[in-house]
Amino acid sequence: MNPLSPKVLVVDDDLTNRMILSSIVEQLGCSVVLATDGVEAVRLFESEAPDLVLMDVIMPNMDGYEATRRIKNTEHGRFTPVIVVTGLQDPEEIQRGIAAGADDFLHKPFNPIVIQSKMRAMLRIRELNDTVRTQNQELQVFRQQRIQEEAVAEKIFDSIVHFGASDVPNVRSHIAPSTVFNGDLLLMAFRSTGELHVLVGDFTGHGLSAAIGAVPVSDMFCTMTSNGFSIGDIAAALNDRLKRMLPPNIFFAACLISVDAIEKRMTVWNGGLPDVLVARPDNTIRARTKSHHVPIGIHSSTDFKRETETIDLVEGDLIYACTDGLIDSPIAAGGRFGSVGYEACFDAELLPMRPFDCVLETIREISGDGPRDDTTLIEIQVTKALARAGADPNDAKALRIPSPWSMSFDFNRATLKNFDPIPFLLRGLVEVQGLARHKERLYTVLSELFNNALDHGVLGLDSRLKSSATGFSEYLAERARRLANGGEGYVRIWFKHVPSGEGGRLRIRVEDSGPGFDFRSSGNGSASEGALNGRGIPLLRSLCDSIEYRGRGNEVEAVLEWE
Amino acid sequence: MPMRCDISENGATIRILPPDRFDFSCHLEFRDAFSKHDGKLKYIVDLRGTNYIDSSALGMLLLLRQHAGDGRRVSIINAKPDVLNILEVVNFGDLFILE
Repeated sequence: MNPLSPKVLVVDDDLTNRMILSSIVEQLGCSVVLATDGVEAVRLFESEAPDLVLMDVIMPNMDGYEATRRIKNTEHGRFTPVIVVTGLQDPEEIQRGIAAGADDFLHKPFNPIVIQSKMRAMLRIRELNDTVRTQNQELQVFRQQRIQEEAVAEKIFDSIVHFGASDVPNVRSHIAPSTVFNGDLLLMAFRSTGELHVLVGDFTGHGLSAAIGAVPVSDMFCTMTSNGFSIGDIAAALNDRLKRMLPPNIFFAACLISVDAIEKRMTVWNGGLPDVLVARPDNTIRARTKSHHVPIGIHSSTDFKRETETIDLVEGDLIYACTDGLIDSPIAAGGRFGSVGYEACFDAELLPMRPFDCVLETIREISGDGPRDDTTLIEIQVTKALARAGADPNDAKALRIPSPWSMSFDFNRATLKNFDPIPFLLRGLVEVQGLARHKERLYTVLSELFNNALDHGVLGLDSRLKSSATGFSEYLAERARRLANGGEGYVRIWFKHVPSGEGGRLRIRVEDSGPGFDFRSSGNGSASEGALNGRGIPLLRSLCDSIEYRGRGNEVEAVLEWE
Repeated sequence: MPMRCDISENGATIRILPPDRFDFSCHLEFRDAFSKHDGKLKYIVDLRGTNYIDSSALGMLLLLRQHAGDGRRVSIINAKPDVLNILEVVNFGDLFILE
């Protein structure tokens, strides 16, 4: 069809009428197809696909009403206007025509101006209809694509979102069902020292952006947790990654919680999520940590703040964290659940019902149709079972068969300028020997010994500098300056491991190129107390089974034993 | 309430009045409001007419901050208690001038 010259089907059993209508239609620049009755009209409509039909009513074989009805049934979604041509002033004919599906009507005798005007109007509507139809088809395609993409995103997200969330004792969580894809994330992992790390988060935006962000978040959270990093460090690392990765308007409101069920302590980094609540066993709120930070992925790494808040816990305490989709849950009667509604569930009167069940039940009741897709709630009860789960997450003694070995490393001053050997050594130690359970202790001992050797031995820094208020920053500045300057010197580290029963004994010897210090008298006289304290020796003594200085004070051996 | 942002310019200051529901639906207007100017201006986001703000609106504010080059050039004023609460939970006081 040539869009500039519409095709018009003229249906009339009267030759004169056909001729008059044809000439009026042709004046408009349209082409004409002629039919003499309803049967022929229906056939030509199918084969010629006209843009408009002028339909006489009274005809042999099939009348105009029936033909109109059949034509309208075969439109195939495309709008083709049908104008019925009736006798003068016959309201009943008009009514029947419109009821059969016609879109407008014309009177006899013919008035060319009226006919042409009505045809113009009808062709305009048809054009509009075509545009809408095309756009609709395009939308359908987009919608299909989007559904497919979301399915991909959902698959990625699903494999991550419930990671580790199912099998921790005394932890209950509610996270949106996966059929409705959302940006909420809930992750859990045990640190080798036994603390449970939990991450609750909410990506702005749904769909792909959330799924893409969730991949590195999940990876880094789990890896860094098992490598012994603190939640402040993890939050900072996540921030760096997401800041580089996400567009500026997408961020990750998140809360990282570390629960130490043995020491009964909780540490929280909260950037943009509702208050983390601690409830006593009687449901009443004992403590809370507000959001003190900007969400993850907004600040540059220099502006990022990793400060955490620590709360002491009591056996039986319940820790609650949620995303703001939960607080925002709409109430069918109007308004929102709100933090008031949320905290009303922390009520001793409700016992034995827990706030966890009360919150979900209340939302189910007030919303009419259950929790929305972006509501996440977690409850962690501080119990001995949780402590035990953390103490031995793998319960795999077979992985830790001790064997005797020794190794030594030399680091010269030039190497140490831009290389911190401690993480490198630690990784080797825990992987070779399965010392994962002692990682924190090892880390502290190793870094104290090494830093003493480097700072005081190789770089010749005086630890007394650190004792004044401004001294510490001066100390660090001086340390950086001396490191950068280069020069001679070395630190040598030697390990020897001997198994004993199921445990073992690790000796760590650290030697430096410096002049040493008078360790023999400094242990007794108060005059040199500073030298000892500056070297963190009390801390080392508390972590090691023995500490012994040797040589001129430039050599130290620490012994760690474990069952 | 119209679902649109009211923009007025006064020399070096651009004033943006987001609608009752400040969400993704006004994201084009909001972006147009500042992106045709270079960053060396002051921006005031006046939330007097806003009763609801969602996370995509927070994202838009972050885009404005990036465009301005410095959050101290962007003031958020007249936030109602509910809206202010949302801005405070995400600690936008660290990123913008919150009055």
